[in-house]
Amino acid sequence: MGFGEYPAEYNPSVHGTYDPARYYGKPDTPFSQVKLGDLGAWFSRRKKSPQATAALISRAFWRWQHKYIQPKRSGIAGFFHITFAAMAFFYTINYKKIKAHRNYKYH
Amino acid sequence: MLSRLALRNAQLMPIMARGAQSMSSAAGDRPVRMEKPSPVRHGIIPEEWFTIFYPKTGVTGPYMFGIGLSTYLLSKEIYVLEHEYYTGVSIFIMALVVIKKLGPTVAAALDKQIDKYEGDWESSRTENMKSLEECIENEKKEQWRADGQKLLIQAKKENIVMQLEATYRERLATVYNEVKKRLDYQVNIQAVERRLAQKQMVQWIISNVLKSITPEQEKANLQQCIADLQSLAPRA
Repeated sequence: MGFGEYPAEYNPSVHGTYDPARYYGKPDTPFSQVKLGDLGAWFSRRKKSPQATAALISRAFWRWQHKYIQPKRSGIAGFFHITFAAMAFFYTINYKKIKAHRNYKYH
Repeated sequence: MLSRLALRNAQLMPIMARGAQSMSSAAGDRPVRMEKPSPVRHGIIPEEWFTIFYPKTGVTGPYMFGIGLSTYLLSKEIYVLEHEYYTGVSIFIMALVVIKKLGPTVAAALDKQIDKYEGDWESSRTENMKSLEECIENEKKEQWRADGQKLLIQAKKENIVMQLEATYRERLATVYNEVKKRLDYQVNIQAVERRLAQKQMVQWIISNVLKSITPEQEKANLQQCIADLQSLAPRA
């Protein structure tokens, strides 16, 4: 799968219209239904290449888009998601400085 | 919170929540754009993040998880409540007030705009379809009219055949008349000739007879006539 190409598993005659939010590979147990003990095995089955990671993020992004941005009468939730994601992101990258503002010595 | 009732109710929850999942994209199906956004709780948190807890913890589980997690983060000061936190809290309270006050109005206005936008496209689509259907209708009518031309051509052909027939018959009549005229002419000629010949013959015979009568014969004839008259006279 090159840059800007469809996933290798995607077959228009079988899958129909391309859905960027959909995983076209062989489906594994959904993450939400994985038993805690099987988590290691489940994680070892995942592809961990940069492409796979990028595809994962892309799918998640499109799933979010389809749910909160693309609907005909979408509300304000999507904008708040962006806000909170940005807050979390900047909190993380500034975490070293923020740690200096701790109010208590002992926890 | 882990009561049996909650657990049993929670068994049914994922089925209900599945309807709230994102767009269906089964093989061969065209993805359908959602009308409403995926349901959220408290304005922003996806419904799925709550329902994922239900089979194990019941409906209060996600809240307990949230409270527990934030308690942990705050107590260990992983999340530091520095000055920016209070800025954020004030901003969000203000945002909440604005959204609650203006939200419905803005939403109604935007919905109206969306409806208008969609209506424009839809109407242009239906107008286009209607005009195309009219075109098809007209085309069919024209074809029907063209079929009428066939009938007309047939009639014209019949007309020409009739004209040909009429001309043929007229010519036949002409020929008949001409031939009859000529034959009548011949008949008349012969009649005239015969009449002339007879006349000639009669004249010739009479003149010859008259020529052959001698004066004695005439005299005798006269005497005979007188005698006949005399014999008739006393009886009168």
